[in-house]
Amino acid sequence: MIADLALYLGGVLLVAGAAFSLLAAIGVVRLPDLYTRLHAASKAGAVGGGLVLLAVALVSQDAAVSIRAVIGVLFLIMTTPVSAHLLARAAYIAGYPFWSNTVQNDLEVEPNKIPPHQ
Amino acid sequence: MTAVSFIDWASLVALVLLTLALLVSVVRIIIGPTLGDRVLALDLMTVVAMGFIGAIAVRTGLTLYLDIAIALALLGFLATIAFARYILRRAGRDAQ
Amino acid sequence: MSAAFLILLMAFIWAAITGNFSGLNLVFGGLVGGVAVMILRASLRQRGELARLRHIAALTGLFLYELMASAIRVALVVMRPDITAGLRPAVVAVPLSVKSDAEIALLANLITLTPGTLSVDVSEDRSLLYVHALTLASPEALIAEIAGGFEARVREVFQ
Repeated sequence: MIADLALYLGGVLLVAGAAFSLLAAIGVVRLPDLYTRLHAASKAGAVGGGLVLLAVALVSQDAAVSIRAVIGVLFLIMTTPVSAHLLARAAYIAGYPFWSNTVQNDLEVEPNKIPPHQ
Repeated sequence: MTAVSFIDWASLVALVLLTLALLVSVVRIIIGPTLGDRVLALDLMTVVAMGFIGAIAVRTGLTLYLDIAIALALLGFLATIAFARYILRRAGRDAQ
Repeated sequence: MSAAFLILLMAFIWAAITGNFSGLNLVFGGLVGGVAVMILRASLRQRGELARLRHIAALTGLFLYELMASAIRVALVVMRPDITAGLRPAVVAVPLSVKSDAEIALLANLITLTPGTLSVDVSEDRSLLYVHALTLASPEALIAEIAGGFEARVREVFQ
């Protein structure tokens, strides 16, 4: 009974994760500039991938596999914001333009920075 | 519907959605317009591919796929970091 | 008390990772955990680790909730037919009250995964965090939300 419940829940999480991944991809195509696209890719992408891994953990019904899947989710949650942040920072320093309707930009107040690590 | 046939259907639906996600992110890789956009789309593609492998693991019951999915996530993260550093270095070179 | 609890916890994690809940394996996991606790005893004693654990648990709970909320919000924005009408992107300089590298790094990561915000850069004197917002209501509201939510929790964890 409990095992069946885990299977049903796993199936729901699997479809939800796949749907979030698809929405992240649609967002990356539809949003107007790199910085807004990063929002879609980092949040919806991480949740999509994480939900699929959680589904694997539930469906496998094996403690060793579940622990590995949960560690995979933790890894994903820890690394996705780092890569999004690095990409946003690199794009800003390289001078990639913001969308013309950006309502406020405090970064432009700062004088141009020279990229470190050179 | 039994739990096993439900999982069968759910994994099939998930595979279809993830395939669409892969195709849609390829659109962004093709139209760009900047290197950053393409790197972002590639990063998303590795996460989607990881989900794809997870869905296959559920469908086939071969949990060994899970290790491949986690390794792929690690690879995608390192690739994105390397690309971000490349964008920084290129910007620094152009400024000089 | 807390040392015994830690050893028990480690024994269970060991059994779960090795996928074998037999008595012998649990005892072995407990032995390994005991050695680890003995080695780390000095560093565990120094702080109120239980209070800290509670703060970490509170932060994790808040974070998981906000993560799901943010994914759903991004999904809703993406699904709008006239996508640009719902957007008010902005870069806001948020003053930081946390100072150490570890605190700023943790805060920046948490901000990236919460609704509508993405950390872009830290100013050179580490007093400002530049946050990109997807749908900005007002800069004051965003600053107040970060200062009252995650920043306060992060400070609690690191005290």
